[in-house]
Amino acid sequence: MKRLASAFLIGSMALLVSVGFSGCSGKISPTATTASKSGGQPEPDVTFKNLQGQDVSLASFKGKVVLVNMWGTWCEPCRGEIPTLIQMQKDYSSKGFTILGVATNDEVKRVIPFVHDTKFDVGGQQMTMNYPIVMGSDQISTAFGGLLGMPTSFLINRQGDIVKRYIGSLNPTEINSDVKAQL
Amino acid sequence: MNKLKPFRLAVAACAMLLLAGLSRPVKAQAAPMAANQVVKAHAYVSLDRVPRGKEFEVAIVATIHEGYHMNSHKPLDEYLIPTTMTAKTPEGIRLVDTIYPPGRNKKFPFSPKKPLNVYSGTVTLRLRMKAEPNAHVGKTTIPVTLRYQACNMSSCLPPVRIPVDVPVKIAAAGASSHPANREIFSKPGM
Repeated sequence: MKRLASAFLIGSMALLVSVGFSGCSGKISPTATTASKSGGQPEPDVTFKNLQGQDVSLASFKGKVVLVNMWGTWCEPCRGEIPTLIQMQKDYSSKGFTILGVATNDEVKRVIPFVHDTKFDVGGQQMTMNYPIVMGSDQISTAFGGLLGMPTSFLINRQGDIVKRYIGSLNPTEINSDVKAQL
Repeated sequence: MNKLKPFRLAVAACAMLLLAGLSRPVKAQAAPMAANQVVKAHAYVSLDRVPRGKEFEVAIVATIHEGYHMNSHKPLDEYLIPTTMTAKTPEGIRLVDTIYPPGRNKKFPFSPKKPLNVYSGTVTLRLRMKAEPNAHVGKTTIPVTLRYQACNMSSCLPPVRIPVDVPVKIAAAGASSHPANREIFSKPGM
């Protein structure tokens, strides 16, 4: 009995350790994190500056499903997922959804021309970014729990709870499915 | 029976911990590297001591963590952040030239059509310098800053600056000096 219990104890500890550290490989991979049964942690109380320098609070989007996308003009994986985001904005904005692009570690003088001039191939159509863009800051990143890498996105439900976090490039199938589930 | 009680309690506690670990909704977070840990840089000087009036070279050997890359000095896109190196030369030491190695054009999953010009593995950046006649004789340190922005296959880390101290010995004009760190400076392209 004691032997059996010892084996279980050792086995349990080994499994627990392996589960607990399975993600700590030093790699940044597209990892989704679900927060809680109720739909997640409350969104942080943050106010951004838009590209015109005006205040935009995250709370002002309450009632909508929001995908906060932390990105940078200098971040190629962030730029790689912009066509997916443009398409999502097209598909779901009429259903109470918006993407909020938060330009992070960036300068507004670089972001403005990028947003206005850079065209992306969205299903064969050349399109510029069609969703609101605001500027991030270290304080805002910290309020979201700190950034582990870019892009990082947060899916917020209509009640203002963060229901999922995505680190690294978004998987189009996954993000579309997650957003639809919230609409 | 009583002897086994604490043991049973330990087993039960462990089982609960295990179940908690398995049923938690939060998937284990990938632990990324801190941006300033992605590159390890070491400085090498081409001469054991540099007589006043003589040119010398500094090699900054940057080893980029496996799985990561950083933009070269000449990225192919204006928005990407190039790797740069700056030296704060003390009085009497003059920077003659900064030489960056060419990057390699590489495609990534996040940019399958458009290649990026990047550094990966180990790269050597060079500074050509001259000890002027008024250089301080003796040991001196030249602070060099390497700025880079690194990514892996799906994510990028913010741009970062890391300091690299270059210790140099300056000697009187006409003093003898010998090549140093030949294994670095004798490599092709050096």
